[in-house]
Amino acid sequence: MPPVVRFAVRRLGRAVLTLWFASTVTFLLLRLLPGNPALAVESPNMTVQARNILLHQYGLDQPLLTQYGKYLWQLLHGNLGVSFTQQVPVSSVLLARLPWTLLLTGSSLLLTIAVGIPLGVLAATRPHRVLDRLVQVFGVGVQSLFVPTVGIFLLFVFGLQLHWLPIGGAYTPGVYGGAWYVSVLSHLVLPCVSLMLVQLGSYALTLRATLIESLGEDYTVLANAKGLPRSKVVWKHALRNALLPTTTLVGLNLGYLVGGAVLTETVFAYPGVGRGIYEAVTQLDYPVLQGAFVLLAATVVLVNMLTDLAYGVLDPRVRTA
Amino acid sequence: MRARFPIAVVAAVAAAATVAACSPAPPKSGAGGSTGDATLTIATTTDVVNFNPLIGNSRTDDWITDLMYPRLLTIDADGNKKPYLAKDFGYSNPTTGYFDIRDDMKWSDGQPVTASDVAYTINAILKDKPAGNTTYGQMSNVVNATAPSTTKVEIHLSRADSTVVSEVGFWMNVVPQHVFEPNGSVAKFPNNSNWVSAGPYKLVSAVKGQSYTLERVSPYPFAPNNTPTLQKVVYRVYPDINSEILALKNGDVDLIGNSLPPAQVKSLQSTAGIKVQEAPGLGYEHMAYNMNHQPLNKLQVRQALAHGVDYNAIRSVVLQGQAVTTGSSPIPPVLKDWVDPSLKEYNYDPNQSKQLLAQAGVSNLKLNLIYSLADPVSSQAATIIKDDEAKAGITINLQGQERNTYLANTASGNYDIYLGNFAIMDDPTTNMSLTYLPGGAINYGLVNDPALSGLIKQAQATTDKAAQKQLITQAATSVHDNVYDNVMYMQNLYFAYSNKWTGFTVKPSELLSLLDPQSLANVKKTG
Repeated sequence: MPPVVRFAVRRLGRAVLTLWFASTVTFLLLRLLPGNPALAVESPNMTVQARNILLHQYGLDQPLLTQYGKYLWQLLHGNLGVSFTQQVPVSSVLLARLPWTLLLTGSSLLLTIAVGIPLGVLAATRPHRVLDRLVQVFGVGVQSLFVPTVGIFLLFVFGLQLHWLPIGGAYTPGVYGGAWYVSVLSHLVLPCVSLMLVQLGSYALTLRATLIESLGEDYTVLANAKGLPRSKVVWKHALRNALLPTTTLVGLNLGYLVGGAVLTETVFAYPGVGRGIYEAVTQLDYPVLQGAFVLLAATVVLVNMLTDLAYGVLDPRVRTA
Repeated sequence: MRARFPIAVVAAVAAAATVAACSPAPPKSGAGGSTGDATLTIATTTDVVNFNPLIGNSRTDDWITDLMYPRLLTIDADGNKKPYLAKDFGYSNPTTGYFDIRDDMKWSDGQPVTASDVAYTINAILKDKPAGNTTYGQMSNVVNATAPSTTKVEIHLSRADSTVVSEVGFWMNVVPQHVFEPNGSVAKFPNNSNWVSAGPYKLVSAVKGQSYTLERVSPYPFAPNNTPTLQKVVYRVYPDINSEILALKNGDVDLIGNSLPPAQVKSLQSTAGIKVQEAPGLGYEHMAYNMNHQPLNKLQVRQALAHGVDYNAIRSVVLQGQAVTTGSSPIPPVLKDWVDPSLKEYNYDPNQSKQLLAQAGVSNLKLNLIYSLADPVSSQAATIIKDDEAKAGITINLQGQERNTYLANTASGNYDIYLGNFAIMDDPTTNMSLTYLPGGAINYGLVNDPALSGLIKQAQATTDKAAQKQLITQAATSVHDNVYDNVMYMQNLYFAYSNKWTGFTVKPSELLSLLDPQSLANVKKTG
């Protein structure tokens, strides 16, 4: 078997094992939570008998092993089950919310990279000078921010005081066509900037540290000695090597793309998967939670594989190893 | 640099495709008349969980489905049941209830609303037992329902039960048989598209976590000229009441559906452009003492606990004066026909509490009190209760709990004192049977008093209103005197809306408030 195929098979096997582990842990953890879905249904007239009927309808009166077997069997057939509370397939519940989450977290990640990398380069190319100090203070400052705090501050300033941007949601109901796209963008600005701000520091500071190191390497000295333009030395030679830890950071953040914006989505009433998870927790909607966590685990596994591939592209040593 | 262009293009295309996937199509218009083109936007803190009105889950579910699926009865400002879809209701004999329904209401697809729809809905609930259906709990004595004519519904009972007609009439939304029946069990039908409505508005678009848009339906007999005044009603979802208030101040919404927290009422009353409307509550905040735990099974101990709390302080500090006493009676004062003014609130007297404990031979009393951390009013009240009871020598161990833990402990009776509230107690007879009969769904005090049970069961059985009132008054006195339940207050509710709107009618409780279908069918813009 060629090494590449062996590598792929090994990684795939590990991915399947990870998914099984994550789905099993989720299955068990949910059943360890206090209460049960029948109790979470808030109806003052539900007798013990009525709640037992409900547990039977949900299949929760069966032995744990039977429930687990059915769950795994469904999962193997690509079936995430039916939501207890909404009576619709979990896949449709998640798919309805996924685009909004991808839009929010994807655009914030791109924005973070677009701002964070130049900021890191700016600091690294002027080490220990005023600009570098400013970037460091800024980086540490934004790293210590808490998303809800940033969100509420931005809402207060740009929503309530200046009336520049809307308070919450993903778009204004009742607008269509081009106006709808404008509405989507205006609603995206504040949650996207909030997420970007709290992630920005780690990108700028990580890149600054590794780029300063790269700029002191022999190959950079040689490139300078050859008379290459400073920008080419920095952006083409030093930055490429310095990007490896940042790539890991991107990989880690990508892993949270699907469910990592729970707080942001909650503060801004953004209709994504994170807010869906929050609501499913309060309702103890096991199938939705199980489906959401499988989706999360699958995203992390997939992104880890992609990060490995990106390493190969960025660093020839990884390719030949 | 060559590689960056395609990556940027791919990212841009992916982003555009993601957004485009969510782009809504303009709804088809023409469902209603041409009176007005106004849109009323209402803020809510919960998503619609299920569009099937027979599977109740969240307050927003109720608000939206109420606009499409009529109830047989509604309630007036004094808590009396009044006709809505039903023109007349009552009992033709002790085991047969009836509704005579209107003949001028239609579903939006042109089908008339008939007695068959009503009978189908009752029978489907009985057969399929949908999750969380409030009406099912009130149907324990219902055998079935029939429709002898297109406007007459009969409910057949296994034994006399005077609560069925009023409770089924008030709590049950009637669904269209021709839409629901072909979809099988009502417990599993999500009803998440192609809605039909016999209310003033019909759902045309639903984006989970974002907004729900309803459009006018006519004819609707409770609107001027049979045509609801609004073209659209939009519900927008916000994470909490504070975001809703920001949105109202910002002009993003016209009305907040949820009642305001006490601390926000005065501030909004003095905010330009915003009106605050008071509506009576229909429930109460109470403490239930676990009668299965010693020494709470002793009357003197319960009396000592009841006299150890300054309820007036709770109402004035925590509720900021936005609550009224019930006289420690389980009948909220809004139900004027049922209230017994002779019942007086347990007076705050720590010395009396100490004497009662001494008489009971109890010292160093230590009790656990559970409450939900999701309820800020309960959380603050609990602190006052703890401090007050300490003055009477009683140690209260506060156990604020996450909602599901609280519900689990409540269900298993794992507490000495339960602190919580009931949102809607619209019918004293029904509510007392749920709260004080052994095995009752919300009998959190685990009360088991044969004399009290006898009174409640007699009240259930009689259709003579005067006799029923007498029995219920005796039962309420028994609950009061035996401290089977310690009802602390009924909270008045406050709702905020933009002063650009007028014409709301106010009904008790957060369920109806300003959002009752008849209210929203008549509301209009000022000027």
